[in-house]
Amino acid sequence: MQKAFSKEKWQYLLHTISHPMDGFYWIRHQDRGSVGIAILLVFIFSASFSANRLLASFVVNDIDARTVNSLYELFSVMILYLLFCVSNWSVTCLMNGEGRMKDIAIAIGYGTAPISFVLILGTIMSNFVADDEQAFYFLLLGVGIAYGLILMMIGIMQVHNYTLGKTLITVLITFAAFLIIVFLALLLFNLLGMVYNFFHSIYVEIIFRA
Amino acid sequence: MKKGLLKKLIFGITMTAALGLSIVHTDSFAASLPYQSYNYNYWEDIVYTPAPYEPDYVVDGLSLSYNGESIGSFDTPEDLCVADDGTIYLADTKNNRIVILDSSARTVKGIIDHFDNNGTEDSFNQPYGVAISEKDQLYIADSQNKRVVVLDNEGNLVRIVDNPTSEVLEENFTFVPLKVTVDYADRIYCIAQNMFEGIMVFEADGQFTGFFGTINVDITLWERFWRKLASKEERSKSQLFIPTEFTGIDVDPEGFVYASNIDVNGEQGVRRLNPRGEDVIKKGVNENLGGDLWIAGSTEFAGPSQFTDVVYRKNGIYSCMDRRRGRIFTYDHEGNLLYIFGGIGTQDGNFQLPSAIESVGGDIIVLDATKANITYFKETEYGRLINQAVGLRYDGDETAAVELWNQVLLLDENNELANTGIGKAYLTAGDYEQAMKYLKLGMSREYYSVAYKRYRNQFLTKHASLFLTALILVVAALVVVSKLKDKGIIKSRKGKKDAESLL
Repeated sequence: MQKAFSKEKWQYLLHTISHPMDGFYWIRHQDRGSVGIAILLVFIFSASFSANRLLASFVVNDIDARTVNSLYELFSVMILYLLFCVSNWSVTCLMNGEGRMKDIAIAIGYGTAPISFVLILGTIMSNFVADDEQAFYFLLLGVGIAYGLILMMIGIMQVHNYTLGKTLITVLITFAAFLIIVFLALLLFNLLGMVYNFFHSIYVEIIFRA
Repeated sequence: MKKGLLKKLIFGITMTAALGLSIVHTDSFAASLPYQSYNYNYWEDIVYTPAPYEPDYVVDGLSLSYNGESIGSFDTPEDLCVADDGTIYLADTKNNRIVILDSSARTVKGIIDHFDNNGTEDSFNQPYGVAISEKDQLYIADSQNKRVVVLDNEGNLVRIVDNPTSEVLEENFTFVPLKVTVDYADRIYCIAQNMFEGIMVFEADGQFTGFFGTINVDITLWERFWRKLASKEERSKSQLFIPTEFTGIDVDPEGFVYASNIDVNGEQGVRRLNPRGEDVIKKGVNENLGGDLWIAGSTEFAGPSQFTDVVYRKNGIYSCMDRRRGRIFTYDHEGNLLYIFGGIGTQDGNFQLPSAIESVGGDIIVLDATKANITYFKETEYGRLINQAVGLRYDGDETAAVELWNQVLLLDENNELANTGIGKAYLTAGDYEQAMKYLKLGMSREYYSVAYKRYRNQFLTKHASLFLTALILVVAALVVVSKLKDKGIIKSRKGKKDAESLL
């Protein structure tokens, strides 16, 4: 067992991105991935996403910089990451998935790497393009995002030892589970609020009577 | 050094000009104006601006007298028009008369309440619209008499246009003209009640020739789907898909007709129709000519603007009167919103039910049907600067407009039109860096890109020798390194790796 941020783990990240089928297989079976790196990559993804919205040249960027809150975006990205991992794990547990929670976290985290890369590259590039050269920028982003999504898909497929069809179905069910989790969370918080209010009113009542 | 001096000079000039002319002027009124002036920026946020126009005075019928007698208050006046010499013709609808006023509306020049119709005395019944032709002939939409009356400047009858007949009109169609206007060839454009096919056009001899500027109805896929599902009875009870009626018309000197209409989606409340009746209006970046952009919600302030009249002013500038919120929206020939002002209320300068808008000299005048008065708005320094700068741009003289735009920026520093205007001037002058700066502030992608491309070319050409030298040096270095590797003076990485793997 190597350290989470050892040199081998970083090299294996590059290997996984360039050889996803092979890479994710050994992540599952030989623990060659690193959850630490995966979480760091999601951080980087969130940062580059905000950076792209803030710093991309206004020729390609239709976003009012005043509406960008990178801390809030980091928070949302991490929540989404956590929720997706949990719901995917819950679903695949019931559907004969072989992957552990850490494998799912690694598959998603590693999948964001190409997206972060093109977001940063695109942000720099956008400052050197004119109106009619936008196509290059959007092509770059499109290719990167598509590759990232394919990586995540392959990652989920490999760590659970699924076929492609089953992967697609589980991903769909994962989104359903996602919504159920959100619904339950809202319900829980609502009920907790009610309980809190109940005790708070008892407290207030006692305070005023005593 | 020279540039800095020039900048300082321009700044100095504009500062003194602004101080000398405007600041005292606008500030003293700003606090007391009964409405707010604003505009929408690129992101469609509301940006408050200095007032472009301020109410000057209000004229109602009671304050006017003719031949020593008071003419009495107006009753639901619906339209007014302005002749080239500034004479104002006002349709005093419920009083069945036309009141002729001078350009300040303080003196009555005459009242027309009857005319000689081939020997018999004839009068009006709710004259709803008036227009004056270039030949000084007065066109009156005599709505309840179902005719358009044409009088010459002495008040003698020239022609009566009534009973239009055509195959395209229904059998039992009654012609109730509401608004009327006339172009340089004496063609009459008439908005009639319940006439959804468009504006009715009559030739100079009074012959009805057809419809003009028909507004197409958009039925969404969703509505189509529901109509498919609905039974015949349900369909007959559902709302009809009819196009909106036009509400007001005006003609520009080139013979293009500006027509306002009420758009329930708030996207396009005004059209510019060419002689074939096609809409050729230009829309700005946001593709919207519908007045207010923040129209969501269900409060009394929500909902799209309802343009009740439009006036072509000059240099491609036109203003639309919104009767829902009493605001006046002014656009330029490219469809950019220049400024917005006005409001509903009871104070002078506010409206209850604005019915018509016109421009006299530099003033904007608005007729209010409920308050039965005319409000004069005179332009402020801010309004004057924008009007003039837009006028110069319309004539193609962007360089001369720069100084005006700089003054606009002193009053309203985020004005996107001003920034774009200055940027474009720098672009033509060849100062691409400055051009880029201002065009970015003005959010003009198109021109920014032009400036940026030229800047990039300039940069590359200027530093071409540097790039080429660097390139040659890199190539030379590579050649040298590979030669050295061949001779074994430098150990190649690959060799090292091979050696390691052998071990």
